[in-house]
Amino acid sequence: MSEQNGHQQKKTLNNPPEKIQVSIKRREKTDSSQYTDVFEIPYRRNLNVITVLMDIRKNPVTVDGREVTPPVWDMNCLEQVCGICTMVINGKVKQSCSALIDDILLESGGNSITLSPMTKFPNVRDLKVDRTPMFDHLKKVHAWVELDGSYDLGPGPKTSQDVQEERYAYSRCMTCGCCLEACPQYHGDNYIGPQAIAQVRLFNMHPTGEITRDDRLEALMDDNGIANCGNSQNCVQVCPMGLPLTRAIYETNREVTVHGLFGWLRK
Amino acid sequence: MAAKLSRTFILRKLHQLTGIVPLGLFFGVHMFTNAKAMNGAKVFNDAVADIHHLPFLLFIEIFGIFLPLLYHSVYGIFISAEAKTNVGAYGFGRNWLYVFQRVTGIFLFVFLLFHLLHFRWGLFAGLGLTDVAVAGNADQAFAIVAADFQSIGVVIFYILGVAATAWHLGYGLFLFAVDWGLVIGEKAQRATLAASAAVAIGLFALGTNSIFSFVRPCGLLPQVLCESEVGVVEAERF
Repeated sequence: MSEQNGHQQKKTLNNPPEKIQVSIKRREKTDSSQYTDVFEIPYRRNLNVITVLMDIRKNPVTVDGREVTPPVWDMNCLEQVCGICTMVINGKVKQSCSALIDDILLESGGNSITLSPMTKFPNVRDLKVDRTPMFDHLKKVHAWVELDGSYDLGPGPKTSQDVQEERYAYSRCMTCGCCLEACPQYHGDNYIGPQAIAQVRLFNMHPTGEITRDDRLEALMDDNGIANCGNSQNCVQVCPMGLPLTRAIYETNREVTVHGLFGWLRK
Repeated sequence: MAAKLSRTFILRKLHQLTGIVPLGLFFGVHMFTNAKAMNGAKVFNDAVADIHHLPFLLFIEIFGIFLPLLYHSVYGIFISAEAKTNVGAYGFGRNWLYVFQRVTGIFLFVFLLFHLLHFRWGLFAGLGLTDVAVAGNADQAFAIVAADFQSIGVVIFYILGVAATAWHLGYGLFLFAVDWGLVIGEKAQRATLAASAAVAIGLFALGTNSIFSFVRPCGLLPQVLCESEVGVVEAERF
């Protein structure tokens, strides 16, 4: 029944603990040092990481009885489409809104959860990071379609079903940062990363966007470009939106090889 | 419009290319030449002499082996140093392969340095090894290697060296295929990985049998597959 209508049955803890322990990696401001506060909250059904953080915020007292400032985190859509609540939960990067406590405890087998901010972005405070680098990458690779006229040009060219499906997959990117967090090659902005490369694919596959295809490819041939990919393929494993990120990278590798390495043979 | 290529882009592409041609190609030829030891000392020594008689040997050695090897290994260490490995948190299979490629690369840097200095230039006599280089002494080639392979430590070190090279080249074939955009989709990736693994296993088996050919005629294979049994006799005379 559940498989027929595509509904996924939620896993639930059979013998839930009375209380769950939450360790949170905290930081006052960007350059101050990181420390850990441990909180304890009563377990209740249907908790997710956001509701756990909300419970802590109501009474921010640590297990050793200190009253502290409530932890800071980012959230917005609460349905895993905006990407802003991404953090590292028990060592793995994911969205805190869709990270269900029962799933986490079933996986770890304990009653404690560790929350820390993503490590690859500037840490603004506590669990909040500044994801500006990713938006700078989008600007760098020209991830948009140029305005092709100031008046109505009529309907655009048709694209095949295959192209539509692939472009739709890339269009689901929510710039959350999971792929960069899990990438062993990305640190200190030395590599532009899978997120921007997937958007190059999205706009290079667009019939009008294709006009500026070479600009995007050349941005990816820069020192922090696509050649820094180390093929660990963690990106495609952790992507919460299921983007075919390695396909995007390898398709673009082909375009870059043809354009960058063999382009002179067409002269 | 001419594409502007950055330094990193050129260095990476050159690193990927040198790993396959000439280094991967050379490793294949090297393993096949070594396999001639199966047929005894004379066949092997003749093979070494044939290499000595190659035209432009010095150029082949410098531009086909030493310079590409130097570049590939030194830049490879730079690439390895950049890696922030995270298999603890993200223990996916391909992530482990990413780590192994760097680990085998660094091990090979040590192994090949030893291998070259010893068999090419006859160094390390102090370790109880022969002080005569194989290169330039084709008539004694088999005997030199056989004498060194009397030590079980050297044999184990060489088996590890062949295994690491076969692994590094095998996965390197896969990496070249995806990095140059020859292979794209998930299904094609799996097929390429399987083919790369087959090449690696084949080269490892070939190389390992050659190592044992210096200890026992025909190596690990039944002797009906080989020509003669002069190998061990020659080694004892040395």
